[in-house]
Amino acid sequence: MIPLLQTLILGLLIGAVYALMASGLTLIFGVMRVINLAHGALAIFAAFLTYTLWSSWGWDPLLAIPLLVVVMFGIGWLLYVTVIKRVRGQHVSMTVLATFGIALVLEGVMGFIWGNTSHSVRTPYTDTSVVFGPFYAPTALLIAAGVAVVVLGVLALVLNRTWLGRAIRAASVNENGALLVGVSVATVAAATFAIGIATLAASGAMISTIYPFLPGSHYQWIARLLAIVVLGGLGSLPGAVVGALVIGVTELLATAYIGAAWPIAVPFIIIFLVLLVRPQGLLGTRLREDAVA
Amino acid sequence: MKRSVITRLLGAVTGVAAAALFLSACAADAPGDADSGPIRIGASLPLTGEFSQGGLDTQQGYEVWVELQNEAGGLLGRDVEIIVKDDATNQNTVVTNYNTLIDQDNVDLLLGSQSSLLNIPASSVAERAEMVFVCPSCGSPDMYNRGYEFIFFSQQAVATDQAKVFAEWVAALPEDQRPKTAAYPSLDDPFAGPVVEGAEAILSAAGIETVYKDVYPATTKNFDSIVNTIKEADADIIVQGAQYEDGVNFVRSLLRAGFSPEILYQSSSPTYGQQYVEGVGAENAEGVFFSSSYHVAADTPGNDEFVAKYTEMFGGEPPEDAADGFAAATVLAAAVEEVGSLEDQRALADWIRANEVPTILGTLSWNADGSPKGDFLVGQWQSGVSQVVLPTDAATTDTILRWKSPAF
Repeated sequence: MIPLLQTLILGLLIGAVYALMASGLTLIFGVMRVINLAHGALAIFAAFLTYTLWSSWGWDPLLAIPLLVVVMFGIGWLLYVTVIKRVRGQHVSMTVLATFGIALVLEGVMGFIWGNTSHSVRTPYTDTSVVFGPFYAPTALLIAAGVAVVVLGVLALVLNRTWLGRAIRAASVNENGALLVGVSVATVAAATFAIGIATLAASGAMISTIYPFLPGSHYQWIARLLAIVVLGGLGSLPGAVVGALVIGVTELLATAYIGAAWPIAVPFIIIFLVLLVRPQGLLGTRLREDAVA
Repeated sequence: MKRSVITRLLGAVTGVAAAALFLSACAADAPGDADSGPIRIGASLPLTGEFSQGGLDTQQGYEVWVELQNEAGGLLGRDVEIIVKDDATNQNTVVTNYNTLIDQDNVDLLLGSQSSLLNIPASSVAERAEMVFVCPSCGSPDMYNRGYEFIFFSQQAVATDQAKVFAEWVAALPEDQRPKTAAYPSLDDPFAGPVVEGAEAILSAAGIETVYKDVYPATTKNFDSIVNTIKEADADIIVQGAQYEDGVNFVRSLLRAGFSPEILYQSSSPTYGQQYVEGVGAENAEGVFFSSSYHVAADTPGNDEFVAKYTEMFGGEPPEDAADGFAAATVLAAAVEEVGSLEDQRALADWIRANEVPTILGTLSWNADGSPKGDFLVGQWQSGVSQVVLPTDAATTDTILRWKSPAF
């Protein structure tokens, strides 16, 4: 029983980190119908920025997050104005192609600036754990989970309690309706994309303390993140959280009880089964056009 | 650092503009004069992607060899130049690259890629073109069971024998010091897997019980669950078939789980030098065993010159993959000099198969299938320094440590 509970603890903590990374991706899709394949690359970019702040000036990744939020928000806004704005509203393949292009360019830029070798950020809490009875929780994962709760909480507050949040939700549900009641959907879209990218500041800072990373690491992340948002329901923030926790727990349970080769296959089997029953994902909303299709 | 990053950013923009101008100015890379121009050697390496760490190190080894070879008068009186293409750690791309090197770039000679994963498909291209293919990192037994005649591995032993010296030492420990239980996690990789298989065969024969054995995919980032299972099984020794990142992540998970087996062996990860030490922390590298083809202080032919030139060109001490790349080029050059021609590649292959070649890794020789005949060195991290601990006649220290614990 203890090994099972220990695996569940670790799975939930890793799921929280996944939720943090997936929140921006699902937010961007929810409002803009843009599948941002550059999401993983931007997270790795934030991790490299964290590495520079840590290795050059000794900044703790946690302290770096506020500065990184500003930088990543700016990068998100810039990407929207220069690329996303031009392909938004076109066929989904255009946005997929454009964002994949951004990911490849970013990978090249990261390789040029930091090199294509593996980098690590080692903090005093990287290799320690909090022990309670027969269980342990890795400190870095605990902190990352705490950061995830804070970031997701702030996101939920912004979405539910502010004018911008209401505008984002309005644009998400019905873009033409939002336009009719005076919402500047273009500005809301830019802000949403930038906020979605800004959430990666915390993600990048946290994953830099947990795993080594290199410019090509983003492929593994984007595959996992897409699986999470599809499972949770594209565009649903609570869905992304639930999906991330499910994937985190099933990955570790599969490793422990089926075999180390199964942590990729088992979550996808679950996704397949869920989508058979609920094509819109666990907490996704079935749109009118989905019903027609 | 800040200035360096900004400078590189500006450099990137300038580089893209320059590349665009260059591409518009020339249609194709014309090969040099067949007999009087430089000898062109082609290789594909994983300069990006999962294996980029080793690929970049190998490229440095190739470049150091080119510099030293040209300073010494070149090869057959001609300068040498190396063309390296990036295969992004992709098996399809590496095949495309070697086809391009042979058919379009018309290179005179080939050198191998990095890792068995890439060299298995790459070597098929070379074999089909009947070109000698000396690879610096292709220890999988799957390389040598295909009846190929042009493929040679320029290290001391294939993967199944890589941990042999280490495992035999463990098996020979006194009863009260010998581990009772063992765990064998391994990357799903044609090189890492056989390393673990070879070690398990020896340790099992010595009565050491296997309590965990599993293969994880290359995409595995989190090892907490695997480590948790091994911790529950209470293994005394862990033999991990690791590439790089997985080795670092595994050690981190061991630390987080508060689990310290007496003996920790990792196949490749600890050979990445300071990258590994920075990844796991010097205090956690203390006592980690690994098999190594090379030691920076080795008293082998040309090693002093190699280390000096490497330090001059790249700074710091050369990592193992750089030395392996250098040795591969040394083997190829020895064959060319002795045969006296580039044209008859079969003669080059026959010469390598029939002779011994002194290299910075030691003297290498080969079986008929191109696999090497020797034994690996066993290394161990001690006080932030990579030491050779076995075999005793090649050891750089008499001390052999437990992982993060006192000496045996």
